[in-house]
Amino acid sequence: MASNRTFTSPALTFELVARCSKTRARASILTLPHGTVNLPIFMPVATQASLKGLTPEQLESTGCRLCLNNTYHLGLKPGQEVLDAVGGAHKLQGWKHNILTDSGGFQMVSLLELANITEEGVRFLSPHDGSPMLLTPEHSMSLQNSIGSDIMMQLDDVLVTTSPDKARMREAMERSVRWLDRCIAAHKHPDRQNLFCIIQGGLDLDMRRECCREMLARDTPGIAIGGLSGGEAKDDFCKVVAACTELLPDLKPRYVMGIGYPEDLVVSVALGADMFDCVWPTRTARFGNAITKHGMLNMKREMYATDFGPIEEGCGCPCCRPIEEEGGMGITRAFVHHNAAKETVAAHLLTLHNVWYQLNLMRQAREAIIEDRFPAFVHEFFRTLYPDRDSYPSWAVTALRDVGIDLLDT
Amino acid sequence: MTVDDQILESAAMRFEILKTALKDGATARLGRLGFAGRLPFDTPNFIGVTSRGALPHLTPDNVSKHLQVSGAYMALEDFIERPQAYSKRTPPIFETPMTAKHDTPLHRFTAMPPSGTTVLSARRLPAVQSPMGNTNASISVFTSTGFQVLTTNEYLSAVQTLRPDIAIPPADLTHSPITPNSKRALRMAERTDEWVVEWFSKLSADSRISTFAPVLPIAYSIQWEYISRLAEDCLPTSQLSGLAIYDPDLLPDLAEHCAALLPLPRLALSNPPTPHHILRHIALGIDVFTLPFINTMSDAGLALDFTFPPPPRPDGSSSSSSGSLLPLATDLSLPHSATSLTPLSLNCRCYACTSHHRAYIHHLLSAREMLGWTLLQIHNHAVVSAFFAGVRETLARGQEAFEVAAEQFTQIYEPEFPEGAAQRPRARGYQYKSVGGGEGKRNKPAWGKLEAKEKDGDSEGVKR
Ligand SMILES: [Zn+2]
Ligand SMILES: [Zn+2]
Repeated sequence: MASNRTFTSPALTFELVARCSKTRARASILTLPHGTVNLPIFMPVATQASLKGLTPEQLESTGCRLCLNNTYHLGLKPGQEVLDAVGGAHKLQGWKHNILTDSGGFQMVSLLELANITEEGVRFLSPHDGSPMLLTPEHSMSLQNSIGSDIMMQLDDVLVTTSPDKARMREAMERSVRWLDRCIAAHKHPDRQNLFCIIQGGLDLDMRRECCREMLARDTPGIAIGGLSGGEAKDDFCKVVAACTELLPDLKPRYVMGIGYPEDLVVSVALGADMFDCVWPTRTARFGNAITKHGMLNMKREMYATDFGPIEEGCGCPCCRPIEEEGGMGITRAFVHHNAAKETVAAHLLTLHNVWYQLNLMRQAREAIIEDRFPAFVHEFFRTLYPDRDSYPSWAVTALRDVGIDLLDT
Repeated sequence: MTVDDQILESAAMRFEILKTALKDGATARLGRLGFAGRLPFDTPNFIGVTSRGALPHLTPDNVSKHLQVSGAYMALEDFIERPQAYSKRTPPIFETPMTAKHDTPLHRFTAMPPSGTTVLSARRLPAVQSPMGNTNASISVFTSTGFQVLTTNEYLSAVQTLRPDIAIPPADLTHSPITPNSKRALRMAERTDEWVVEWFSKLSADSRISTFAPVLPIAYSIQWEYISRLAEDCLPTSQLSGLAIYDPDLLPDLAEHCAALLPLPRLALSNPPTPHHILRHIALGIDVFTLPFINTMSDAGLALDFTFPPPPRPDGSSSSSSGSLLPLATDLSLPHSATSLTPLSLNCRCYACTSHHRAYIHHLLSAREMLGWTLLQIHNHAVVSAFFAGVRETLARGQEAFEVAAEQFTQIYEPEFPEGAAQRPRARGYQYKSVGGGEGKRNKPAWGKLEAKEKDGDSEGVKR
């Protein structure tokens, strides 16, 4: 059921609001079972049903309406039985808005060296007692059904994109398609939970295109581009995203998994992607790092000990706004420095700031798209982030040039 | 017999004793304490205990939104460390500029909500005992980079720069669980006396800092000269605004021998280990408490669960001899909370209890997610706030109502907190040295004395 601006499926509505006249960037509204979210969007990762010390209320105050939980972690703690008894992850964490869960497979492959993939599923040793366990597409669906996430991800056969083994890459791509079929068959609540497919195929653009066609034929309500952020060159990353978005339908949300650096987000939006997630902004906060429009600042550095400015000048987050403003805390860099790695409060404050930064970056991109000044926004973003044009990353310059923005042209 | 309200007022502070059954004597009293620019609060009450200027696990927005805590205790030793590479630097906090609403450097540096009252002392609560000890002109403090000498002059200058609402002058304390011998105790009194005299001679009169002079945890007979000086020299000049009481058991002596000091607000820095102790100290006349156990309980995964006046006994009986006692806290790390959708404690209206449930806290503790401690801090502070509100309501009905309810409290609740099986937060450094340094179990339950004291109070009432 698709008009030329709106796509509707049982648990999701996607409305295309605006399109950049130069690049592939789009602004849209995604309506999920727990409310609407504006795309493009950055989704913070609340791995174990909690975003690193922020209360759900504080997370909500950043404007977040869709966050991630990790199926692998929730499967271990609190476990499926508790999730069923409690009534799902929304209820567990007191989160009124949307949740997206991964399949659990990626975490197994990346966290557990001993994971072993067969046609049946991912075999691994239990981190609890070392006993052999198996994560199948059916089991992943069952867990995600218990979690009750608004967006579920299919179990896929993940391989690092840089793997030289072409045959294995093809096997992984084809197996991911077969596993999608098993996921669709096993999914118990298509009326209230959306299952997204994941496009695989490594850095081989033809294989990616082939995968796109296979996956699109299964008509899931949303589409993810997977297997990236695994150490591939940024040029290759952009080529894969561009090759996929070229083939994807206009009226479905496009999610690039595991992406979080601000410049990656901005370039990926220009390439036509809508949704991103990454643990980096919250993880780096715990190391004392603040993300700002001028780059990352480590608050542990001595230079911040007597810096009584806000974490980021002009930032609208509750930490940075002056105490004189409603809802502002008037936090100084000196206070964050004072408590970095000493009191959890410093990490909470930086987490709040960083999440706000990421969400706000996507809000600004969205406004720019709607007002059709996205290319100017991209220029401004890079101008502010880098000291001069010579230091712009070449991958970004190339990728943006391919979609009509010449960063080196003023 | 009641007397009219009694008001103590200066430019910086106003303390009104609203109701007291007796004109003087060590007795519970209702009051209202306010400082210039801060929200006044009713007493008996408590303030939060910070670590490095922060209420542990609570960002300032959560403090203003979800805590009814009227102030915070801060320790200068949390701000003056000397990192090896920058050992010559001036502690950054001393350079803090102010803003319109963060109107003192201390408020501004710690981002303390502007309505909150700040208390600055030299040492943390509880403080780590120093192997060096104090000298005639300095105390030994423990910073994140180690033990350091803090001269009494440096401390005074820090106080004048930071401008807390309440400042505690330096006191010669041992911070040891062992009672000092009489020779040491005498020196403690003499030094503290000298330091306080020096303090008042140097503290600028227009500073708007209210001084709460320390009353040492040693026998009254050893420090009577010092305390008399407070009453005779410091009080008339209006330099003395309150008392910082390290041992509330001295209050009866104080009441007996130094009636002039009775109108002063009393801040307890005694680290009472349980609400039973708090009730006893309220009965002795403490107005404001600092309660390190709240932070400790949260870190231990314990949700406080007590109210005042206490609920009726679960089995309906009234005597203490039958039935089991109610626990003072629930260990949310235990399996029975895993799927429990009930609030942390049944009638609590705090953010943690209205927006979340035991199962979530249990999960967060088990996953060692920091939010668990944040939510416990919100809840535990709320329980203690409600406890004090209940104490004030009961006191408003009269001393006797309070005494009866306090007696019931001891008969209904267990004498001590449960242990707490959860893993604590990762030790974030030096402050955890203080664990085992005498906090917690040091003071064996002594609420049996409550009854005795109240009887004393009664007899005094009869005399009058
Ligand atoms: Zn900010
Ligand atoms: Zn509560």
